[in-house]
Parts: sequence; structure tokens; C-alpha cells
Amino acid sequence: MDVIGSEPVVGVVTAYDLADGTGMDVIQAVREQTPQTPVVLFTDVSPAEIDTNSVEEVLVEYLNRDLPDATDRLGFIVNDVIDHSAQVGFLTPDNEDERLDALDQYDIDSLPIEESFERLTDLITAHFDVAVAFVGLIEEDEENFLACTGGDWDSLTREDTICTHSMLQEDVMVVEDIANDKRFNKNEQLENLGIVSYAGANMTSSDGHVIGQVCALGHEPRRYTAKEKHDLEQFADTAMEILELRQSVLDNQDVEVHQ
Amino acid sequence: MSLRSDAFETAQLPIDDIESGQSILLVGDDTTALKTVFARLVAADADERSVVLATNAGGRSIQRLLDDARDGAGSRASILTAEGPGRGADVSTIDDLKDITQVGMQFSNLVGTSQQSTARFRSGIFLCSTIVSELDDTRSVYRFLNSNFLTELRRGDGIGVVAIDRSAELETDVDSMVTGMETSFNIRIDVEQTGPQTATLHLSGVPGSEGSVDITL
Repeated sequence: MDVIGSEPVVGVVTAYDLADGTGMDVIQAVREQTPQTPVVLFTDVSPAEIDTNSVEEVLVEYLNRDLPDATDRLGFIVNDVIDHSAQVGFLTPDNEDERLDALDQYDIDSLPIEESFERLTDLITAHFDVAVAFVGLIEEDEENFLACTGGDWDSLTREDTICTHSMLQEDVMVVEDIANDKRFNKNEQLENLGIVSYAGANMTSSDGHVIGQVCALGHEPRRYTAKEKHDLEQFADTAMEILELRQSVLDNQDVEVHQ
Repeated sequence: MSLRSDAFETAQLPIDDIESGQSILLVGDDTTALKTVFARLVAADADERSVVLATNAGGRSIQRLLDDARDGAGSRASILTAEGPGRGADVSTIDDLKDITQVGMQFSNLVGTSQQSTARFRSGIFLCSTIVSELDDTRSVYRFLNSNFLTELRRGDGIGVVAIDRSAELETDVDSMVTGMETSFNIRIDVEQTGPQTATLHLSGVPGSEGSVDITL
């Protein structure tokens, strides 16, 4: 377990019966330290005999070691769960690979976008009279915040974000009161940040992929009118235009240098 | 292990056969129509096996539903149920749906075991909305679907159906949740019961069968 806490681990395979505990202890520890790391429980102990009373909502892939093709299956399954981030606590669009490819087209670290986005999030907080506004890009495992007014946020694990749900909807997603929504009201990260209301609009690339979100967050419950939702979409479209234009300028500079 | 073969025939439904690997989100009120369409999609043909997680129905009830959809399908099913007694090797029980860790392991084990007799399988969850209502944190439902359901469809020769009762009290915006879930599934079918023996299916993502079709139950 020391290794899991200190080094990147892409996947864990554990037996159930261990000299100093059980595989469930390992799984619990992995989920607490790196919740998105896939785990396979490889054992000849049947599920009904496995003590799950000590763990809470800890999902794992179970593979019966007694199956005739168990060893072949194990290799196949381990590769699969690693390649597909197969045990995360959020759903991904079925074109997730293409979406991530589209996101990779933007050389975010080289683009002078921070000041532009900060001006934009300042405007959003003022326009909606909300505590926090941000521009975030949704990467494979986390959301990276490019600008954030009202909060000092760098990134969040993707399953802890509302944006990973919002990005799956075409229109603006509003959560009037997170306390009343089971998808989010057990999320300690959101609670610690004091977020009560949420509105998120998609940043959609020119080839149609949702790569990020522009969001307004409040510390109080609130509704958004149709006009306000439309305004948020306009802000998201503006953020996307800034990103596209900056990338175009960078691409043209690279061409000129090579010439 | 990941080789794909023939498409899966749908019993008594006016839609084309479903390609192996496809996932289907079945949405509607908890009516006879929803149960019937679920059974017609999940009922195994002669060279297949069904693996069903039943949250609100006993094993015998699910076997009868499958038999009604396709002759003999009930005996080609492995059922994990939160209701009623176990019945031999084909119907096993779970004590508590809240113990999603145990549910997930048992379901994975059933799929793996069923593939020892035939590679082709149809898996189904009736009703996933009940799981959502039982668990404190919806992220666990998504992790369960990712870890123990959708993965099997990517790897093996099978299709999977997840039924959602949209009238269930889930303490969330059900429309928003279903819209989000839809993007992870290949096919969405909305079931609307229109009479005691009739229903309309609203189809999305079904090759060659977009739009609405009427069925007799």
C-alpha cells in the first residue's frame, strides 16, 4: 500500500486471502487513495463467502480463479480495465476517445489564454451575481481549471465534478440545490468548496466535441431563467472562440518560423 | 475472447437484430410494457445465455417473463435477485442491494460462469433505478455499471439492457440523469404503455429503426 500512495499505479490485482488481511482491505485502501485506479479481485473464494460488511460501496471486478480459462481472462481483463479506465465513478460519452483527441489539439500550456479567461470569469460572476465562475477543460481523469473567479482551484478528480455530468447534456445543466440532488449531495469535495447551486454550459470544439465547461456556481440555491441559460451558453461560445483563435495564431506562428 | 459474431435476434419486437457489444438503455414507467420489452430483449436464444439482475422481482417471475418472450428462455437464464428464494444454480439471491460491492462481484461471477457454457450472452438489469434509490452515492451506481456491466459488453459476445423506471423517486433530476446515461449507451428505447395490451417504443440509435413503433404486449 505504500507503493500505491507514493508512485503512479495503473492497476491492482489482489487475491482475497492474504497473510495480514483480505483483498477487501487492499481494495478499500486503493479506493481511498486513488479512487480511479482499477482493481481486480482474483480468487477462488466465491462472492457469497467474501465479507463485504466492512466496506462501503467499493466496486471491484471479480474474477473466479477456478474458471478453466481464468489465467487468460486475467491478462485480458487487466489490460482492458487499464486501457478503458473501466472502474471510474462517472459515465463517459461513447465517443470519449475522439473527444480526448479533439482536446489534445489545443496546446493549452503554450496559449496566452489565462488573462482572457480571467476577464471572462470576472464578467460571468458579475453578470449572474454568483460567487464563483470558471472555465474548465475535462480531461481523461480530471477537470483542469484554466481560470476561476471566486475560488483558487487548479483541478478536481473528474468523478468529483458536476461538469462531467453537465458535458453529457446538449443544453445548459442547472442544479438549483445540490443538497437535493443525489448525484452530488454526498460529494465531500463540493461540500468543502461550499457549492450549493450550479449552472454549466458546454465548450464545443469546431468538430463537435465537448471539451470543457463554462460554469457559474453559487453559495445559495438559485434558478436560472431561459435568458440566463442562453447568456451562459454565449459565454461558453466566447471561451471556445478565444481558445480556437489563440490556437490558430500559435499554429500560424509555427508555420512562419518553419518558413 | 473479444471476437464478435452474429447479431442478436430480438423476440417479438419490430426492430432489427442488435449487434454484439451493444448496450441498451430502456426507459419508461414501471409498467407491464417495460417488463415485456425488457424480457423480449434479454430472452436468450438456443445458443445463448441470459444473465439478469432483478431488483424488484423474484427469480421465478423473471423466468416466466423470459419464457413468455421466447420459448425455453427461462431455463437459459442465470438470475441474481433481491426478491424471493434462490432456486438451484439458476437463481441466486442477494441479501441487500445496498451492498453493491457484493452485488457487483456476484453479477461479474455470473457473467463469467455463463460464458463457460456458451460465449453468447444477454445481460440485463431490471431495475437500475432501484439501485440508484438504494445507494447513498450515485457515483457508486456509475462505478458498478462501468466495472460490472458495460465492460463485459466490450470484451465478450453479448448485449446488455439496463431498465430505468423514470417514475421512481430518486432524489435527483431523473431526466438529466437519464440524458447523461444515454450517452454511454449505444441504444435508447423509451417505452410508453398506450393500452392494456399495447405500447409505443421511441427508438434512438437502433440501426434501421429510428422513430416510433407500436407493439402488442
